[in-house]
Amino acid sequence: MAKIEELREEARRLLRDGKVKYIIGYGTGRDGWRAVPIFIRQPEEADRLIWNPTCVHNLSRFLADEKRRQAREKKPDRRPVGIVVKGCDSRAIVVLLQEKFIRRDDLVVLGVSCEKTGVIDEDKLTDKLKGKKPEKIEFGDQGEFIVAAGNEKIAVSAGELLAERCRECRANFPVIYDFLTGEKSPRPVERPFGSIERMEALSSEERWAFWKNELEKCIRCYACRSVCPMCYCDECVVDSISLAVTADTTAEEKAQKIKWVQKSPEISENFVYHLVRAIHLGGRCIDCGECERACPLEIPLRFLNKKLEKEAKELFGYEVGFDVSQPPLISCFRDDDPGDFIR
Amino acid sequence: MIQGILSGNPMHKILNKTVFSKWVKELRSSKIYFPRKDDSGRWNYAQITPDEDAILDVSQTTLPPKKILFPQREIFLEFSKNIEGDGETLEVKEVMPEDGSTIIFGVRPCEGRAAWLLDKVFAGDFSDPYYWKRRNQTTLIGLACSIPPSENCFCLSVEGSPHSEEGLDILLTDLGEKYYVKVLTEKGEKLVEAAKKLFSDPHPEETKKAQAVQAESEKRLRRHLQEARLISEKLKGMFHSSLWDEESMSCIRCGICTYLCPSCHCFDISDEVDAVSPLRGKRVRTWDTCQFPDFTMHSSGHNPRPDKASRLRQRLFHKFQYFVEIYNQFQCVGCGRCISLCPVGIDIIEVLDKVRSHGS
Amino acid sequence: MTEEFEPRIVAFLCKWCSSAGSDLAGVSRLEYPPNVVPIQVMCSGSISPLYIFSAFNKGADGVLVSGCHPGDCHYTKGNYYARRRLNLVKKLLEYIGLEPERFQMSWVSAAEGQKYTQVIKQFVEELKPLGPQTKLRRNG
Repeated sequence: MAKIEELREEARRLLRDGKVKYIIGYGTGRDGWRAVPIFIRQPEEADRLIWNPTCVHNLSRFLADEKRRQAREKKPDRRPVGIVVKGCDSRAIVVLLQEKFIRRDDLVVLGVSCEKTGVIDEDKLTDKLKGKKPEKIEFGDQGEFIVAAGNEKIAVSAGELLAERCRECRANFPVIYDFLTGEKSPRPVERPFGSIERMEALSSEERWAFWKNELEKCIRCYACRSVCPMCYCDECVVDSISLAVTADTTAEEKAQKIKWVQKSPEISENFVYHLVRAIHLGGRCIDCGECERACPLEIPLRFLNKKLEKEAKELFGYEVGFDVSQPPLISCFRDDDPGDFIR
Repeated sequence: MIQGILSGNPMHKILNKTVFSKWVKELRSSKIYFPRKDDSGRWNYAQITPDEDAILDVSQTTLPPKKILFPQREIFLEFSKNIEGDGETLEVKEVMPEDGSTIIFGVRPCEGRAAWLLDKVFAGDFSDPYYWKRRNQTTLIGLACSIPPSENCFCLSVEGSPHSEEGLDILLTDLGEKYYVKVLTEKGEKLVEAAKKLFSDPHPEETKKAQAVQAESEKRLRRHLQEARLISEKLKGMFHSSLWDEESMSCIRCGICTYLCPSCHCFDISDEVDAVSPLRGKRVRTWDTCQFPDFTMHSSGHNPRPDKASRLRQRLFHKFQYFVEIYNQFQCVGCGRCISLCPVGIDIIEVLDKVRSHGS
Repeated sequence: MTEEFEPRIVAFLCKWCSSAGSDLAGVSRLEYPPNVVPIQVMCSGSISPLYIFSAFNKGADGVLVSGCHPGDCHYTKGNYYARRRLNLVKKLLEYIGLEPERFQMSWVSAAEGQKYTQVIKQFVEELKPLGPQTKLRRNG
């Protein structure tokens, strides 16, 4: 089992020796049981780091912030940043390295293995506890979860509470790390794309009805984009702000300004936004599931963004997020790439 | 126009739950909204059909009634150029909200209070005709919170309460088998009049019970923000504090806190062009949020709030300082949505607690 | 007599091959349906998926991308990237339930005026029974 004491000791050491500027990790939130992202700078703070089944966030999301911060500072501190990652999160780091968005030297990767389990789905926990307030959730020794709520502790099998994405996880331990706690236990997944296959089995009209129903709910809060480590563009397609509007700008100029997506949350615009995001994540999405978790309207975005991960593997034999030396999916090709759809 | 408060005392009535649906059916209104659970398990205000049996049973909705009173997309005007012979004419047509009344049932007192605060903003020096057309046609029927709808509710700390009345036209208090009905405005009175046979006058015990339920509901609130007024004062000196950098480290700059806030109301106006030649389009108002980086982007390229720290500070100042200065009210109504739904667990109460204890 | 539905096709044609091929069709006076709005691009590899989604958003009933045959790209590799990228676009559009016939890709060289007309004819024939594209279209 991954040992939090090992992680804390390593963090303490790194901070004490000044090897990293700060460490991005998981800490306990104000409510006492949910993990939240924390940023620690002093060796004493290493005790705040935790590791439990509520550590759902993909912390590599904050690497883009670090880059922006450095770009703004006059004399940036160029020491590396420490980051705690699960298996899925480490695949995001691999993609960011493939794209040369960050350099390997700028990171100290503190890996934690999920071994045979993973993280929880909070809705499943709420259903299980039926109104009781959780106090603490921890990993058990046999791959189960120990849930303390309302003055009692119960052992719950992982299957009951595991997030859906963990059931299809292909990286239960980090694929890149400078330090690792926990065993690199093999955990073969029978149907790594099971959720996508279920969608594909529906008819075209059923799929359309599903997506129309879901995307109508979208309020374009862009939480899905904001929480994704791979959405690091300074100006997103939907932001198109690069037309300077002055008092002299004519109506024609404003009308002809390229605006790919309207700001309004109409279904057609929501489709453009989500389709563009899905295609921009083609060969980059590693199914951390954060987009779906962050969505306040519970739109099942995993089904959309993960589809191209499946296609990358099946059409092009491309595994997303495992090999740093691999070029990004759409900036390489093979001579025998399928072309039977082309007339 | 601020809604007409009843002259004289508010009217008190009792309505049995067995005839509640009957009352709803009597209300021949264009649109009636009830909180409803959707297929993903989330509650939201949804229109009911005339035959539907609606039940008042709520947890906190994801989207507040703001989405009905102040829709995310609203058309202001439509424009088109018509080519006639050698000349062109430009036709501009104003688009006002549709006629027809709307009734929203099950409004939480905090959401009613938020509507009351929005009323102040849209009345001011310039009265927003689009907002008011809609607002004047909408009746809000509140339901007192006998239990807190969310684990993060803190309405008492921001001068609201689980049974506050501001912004509402009727307040219902759940007495078990009946509702205690307090009619607050003329709009509310009209709805009770529409089915007055279903309502009876309360017995003294029933009035006592309603008061007891309300008092009890105040004790059930799990979260509190101590000394909010003091925090408001203290914020004045903290514009340049380093607290904002620390607290905003994990902010991912999405729009959840602002879009789901019952009292946030920032908007953007843009032209949606449907055809270029001949020119045809609409001018629309859409929600916008101070949390998006380009919210304060100037056309010169300068951005006075380029970083997350300044944007988090902006949000807290707006809710707890600027609004207090202008209207002497907190803009936050303590619904707790921003706390429950923030993907990284940023907690407005926690941040403000730090403001209060800062420097001491 | 009801008016038959005439699909509107937006065709992204690479300048060096497909667009030249369409010119050849014109110069040779070959007849083909007038349903196409041609947009010339430098290379099929320069097509961003955004153009395709945007075309559907603006009301196109069908979108065609046509480029040089593999091995003949004026920029050597552009069409290989297109082949990969646009395969993903096709899969994604089918996945959300758009009729698969609405997005097509073809290789048409500068000498293949005849092929160009065949591609267009076939595309129009396939789109007619589907009717107007309403799923992704913006309501203006």
